Amino acid sequence: MNRHWHRYWFTPATAEHLALARIVTYGLLFAIYLPLDDRGWTQVSPVFWMPVSVFHVLSGPPRNSVLIGALQILWKTSLLTSAIGLFSRISTLTAAALGFFLLGLPNCFGKIHHLDGFPVLVLCILALSPCADIWSADGALWRKPETRTGVSWQYGWPVRLAQTLFLLTFFAAGWAKLWHGGLAWMTATNMRSIWLGELFTHTPPTRLGSYFARWGWLCQFAAITTVIVELAALPALFARRLRVPTLAGLFGLQVLIALMLGVYFTPSLVGYALFLPLERCQRVLARFVP
Amino acid sequence: MASAPLRFASLAIVGFLAITCFDIATGLEHWPFGSYPMYSLTHTDRLSWLRLYGVTDAGEIPLRGERDLAPFDQSRLVMALNRLQSAPGGNRKLDEALRNLMQLYSRRNAQHGNAGPPLRALRLYAVSWVLRPGMQGSEPGERILIAQTGDGTER
Repeated sequence: MNRHWHRYWFTPATAEHLALARIVTYGLLFAIYLPLDDRGWTQVSPVFWMPVSVFHVLSGPPRNSVLIGALQILWKTSLLTSAIGLFSRISTLTAAALGFFLLGLPNCFGKIHHLDGFPVLVLCILALSPCADIWSADGALWRKPETRTGVSWQYGWPVRLAQTLFLLTFFAAGWAKLWHGGLAWMTATNMRSIWLGELFTHTPPTRLGSYFARWGWLCQFAAITTVIVELAALPALFARRLRVPTLAGLFGLQVLIALMLGVYFTPSLVGYALFLPLERCQRVLARFVP
Repeated sequence: MASAPLRFASLAIVGFLAITCFDIATGLEHWPFGSYPMYSLTHTDRLSWLRLYGVTDAGEIPLRGERDLAPFDQSRLVMALNRLQSAPGGNRKLDEALRNLMQLYSRRNAQHGNAGPPLRALRLYAVSWVLRPGMQGSEPGERILIAQTGDGTER
């Protein structure tokens, strides 16, 4: 058991691999959340305040929009400095702490959107890791020659943990459908009602839901496939052969959800990026970066 | 004997996994962890949904969360109003919520140079539809007035 645990989590990896994951993750999060603006929540009545998680410690919604604006600038700056590895330790800790606050705050006004949970977890994991040991501005500016890099167990587990949590979010979604809806969730009626209902409750970019809902067999097929693909995320954690088809299926599923239901899982791009063959990019980059 | 960094990494992994698995197994939410229950309930061919309408001098206009009532988006707004409606003292809370939403709408209009007509009142309806293939999302449904704020008298 101990041997399997160590092999799964602590297989040695290169410092470059983790550094590349850092650059891609923080770079993507910066691009995705650049338009984020939480200042509007300071204008919302306390009657809407329904705190989640550790936000219970606050007595009510924040009221100071200048402070929120300043925190946003600080957070986005910390994402950028974490990506380039400048003041790495303080940058990654700031990115995690402020990311928790700024991405969590909107969830305290009536509904948790599950898009932003995973990015916060990744920020926390990277803040705990030695992700800026190499390919960082700190290294170029201040690193002492004896700083150790190379191959180590320390560089593997952060990406492996982030990948695991990413796939578990999909397994959780599939499990919840069976838990709450049972086999009835996988019926054509249910799928058709979801597709058509979203036309009234959201603003999907296409009318594909209305079009596809005409065919009962397609609704049935989509319902069963959705649950199977989501549940496959758990075995894909352990079976390498399942990983690529499962990830492709999950990505396709999220694209269809965006087109048909108008729900955009853009932050999930970070999770998919962590499964890219970063070692190939690493070999190319290593030719140019000392 | 494991080194201190290895023990720390193991502890972090166990901590993340424990909360994740607990939430999945119990259906509870400890954000940023969660049980991801979106779309997990079964749906019938009858849909009921809360919708906000603004009363202008020219009549009622439908309002959308992200467009008219930012920072709320449509699904968060409706869920929040649903929760207020079913909470103790729901009517009073809904009145206060609608007054605040009118302020958000007016403030947005002031900031964006009269992006929409001024509102005299705000009405919250429960709207229901019988879903059929071929629907486009623009069909009117059956409406029941739930709450109203402002001067809603017809002119």
